[in-house]
Amino acid sequence: MGEVIVVTSGKGGVGKTTTVANIGAGLAGLGHKVCLVDADIGLRNLDVVLGLENRIVYDITDVTAENCRLKQALIRDKRFNELLLLPAAQTKDKTAVSPEEMIKLCNELKEEFEFVIIDCPAGIELGFKNAVAGAESSIVLTTPEVSAVRDADRIIGLLEASEIFSPQLIINRLRPKMVRAGDMMGIEDIIDILAVDLLGVIPEDDQIVVTTNKGEPVVRDPRSMSGQAFRNTVKRLKGEEIPYMDLDESGFLTRLRKIFNRK
Amino acid sequence: MLDFLAKIFNKDSSSSSNVAKERLQLVLVHDRSSISPELLQVLKTELIEVITNYMEIEEESLEVNLDNKDEQVALVANIPVKKMKRMNKSLSGS
Amino acid sequence: MSQSKQEKSLVKFPGTGADDFEQYTDENTVLIQRTLRSGQTIRYNGNVVILGDVNPGAEVVAAGNCIVMGVLRGVVHAGASGNEDAAVIAFRLRPTQLRIANHITRAPEDENDTTFFPEIAKIKDGVVTIEMFSTFNDRQIRN
Repeated sequence: MGEVIVVTSGKGGVGKTTTVANIGAGLAGLGHKVCLVDADIGLRNLDVVLGLENRIVYDITDVTAENCRLKQALIRDKRFNELLLLPAAQTKDKTAVSPEEMIKLCNELKEEFEFVIIDCPAGIELGFKNAVAGAESSIVLTTPEVSAVRDADRIIGLLEASEIFSPQLIINRLRPKMVRAGDMMGIEDIIDILAVDLLGVIPEDDQIVVTTNKGEPVVRDPRSMSGQAFRNTVKRLKGEEIPYMDLDESGFLTRLRKIFNRK
Repeated sequence: MLDFLAKIFNKDSSSSSNVAKERLQLVLVHDRSSISPELLQVLKTELIEVITNYMEIEEESLEVNLDNKDEQVALVANIPVKKMKRMNKSLSGS
Repeated sequence: MSQSKQEKSLVKFPGTGADDFEQYTDENTVLIQRTLRSGQTIRYNGNVVILGDVNPGAEVVAAGNCIVMGVLRGVVHAGASGNEDAAVIAFRLRPTQLRIANHITRAPEDENDTTFFPEIAKIKDGVVTIEMFSTFNDRQIRN
């Protein structure tokens, strides 16, 4: 019996879809059976981030409307045999699926998969309600910006209202240099405000843009900083204790600053 | 130059990240203070329970509200008292 | 007489001879005079002609043929009700996915599309084949 995890942020553009793709690919890379569900009906994107957009025949609304069987709609990833995608519909709107149908769907999926990861749409409307309906646990995503943190706080409240407690936080697009210069909120600042458990910190990385262009998850890139951060995050999700990587470049100046900061 | 140094050594409490954090904390106090009517009703009944231990009040005209003003949030309760209860036996002993 | 017949089959397809096409090159054609954007769908129980592009994420489903006077990048389904003779024509044929009747194809991975001429997709010997579309060589002019 698998676990259904919803990845949500409230605010748009913080990297939900990229995160879902990378966590999914990371888990599948470790040999787990993973199903990714794109719950952003009408604005599907997970397919294109994974490079699977040209394989879609049926989508989630075809499954709930019983136009096809669940197995027919699932698309197998080209890199990982154990990674499957249930794509969203692009030509329908959010009302095409109801929370009850999502619960039924999630229950069916977790029979089959170890991890069912739901990509939640931005906002707190029906799309959000659908995405969280079948979920048991949650990953809340934010960036070190006031708007994103505020929305994350609101989302944590709404998750609690849907009886999904103790969300795990991923801080995305952190820029260590700016944090050091006091121009960006740091990890402690955000944890302080949101008071939730930290699951991972992903540094801002140009490589994400490059890999997404190609429809490749960055988690497969052995050299990039963000790829390593995602691999660590995935292991923590599995319950392993992985220390947080040092995002600082340990140059002379950095060390000097640390010495001064100590007092 | 001084600004620059202050920035480097991260001691300046007016650094933009600190400003961001303070503003956020303030905003969130407001955001989180939006309390649902059901919860407010529960709060009301529990308040009445506690207060009636000490005094008689007009339960019907009891008002409890959350007040948002610029910098803070206050719980404002308007509770008309009918009669005080005599409490001296329990308090005077100590 | 011959004049009217020619008018009737304004849209002709090469290969099997124009007569076979008469069954679905009738008036049952819809003309879309705009670009289809992501999320938009055209479904029609006949032929569909689009004066514009079909962007990625858009979908055209036609019981008959589908002709795109522009770039076809979205999903297209011709002969959706099972007609294996249906064809897809586009000025630039770059579909995310192309379906004719119950055949489904997608563009090969890692192959850059460098064709800069109109193409036609149809079923030949049970396989979806794509050829250069030329009105000059193949058109059969009947009198």
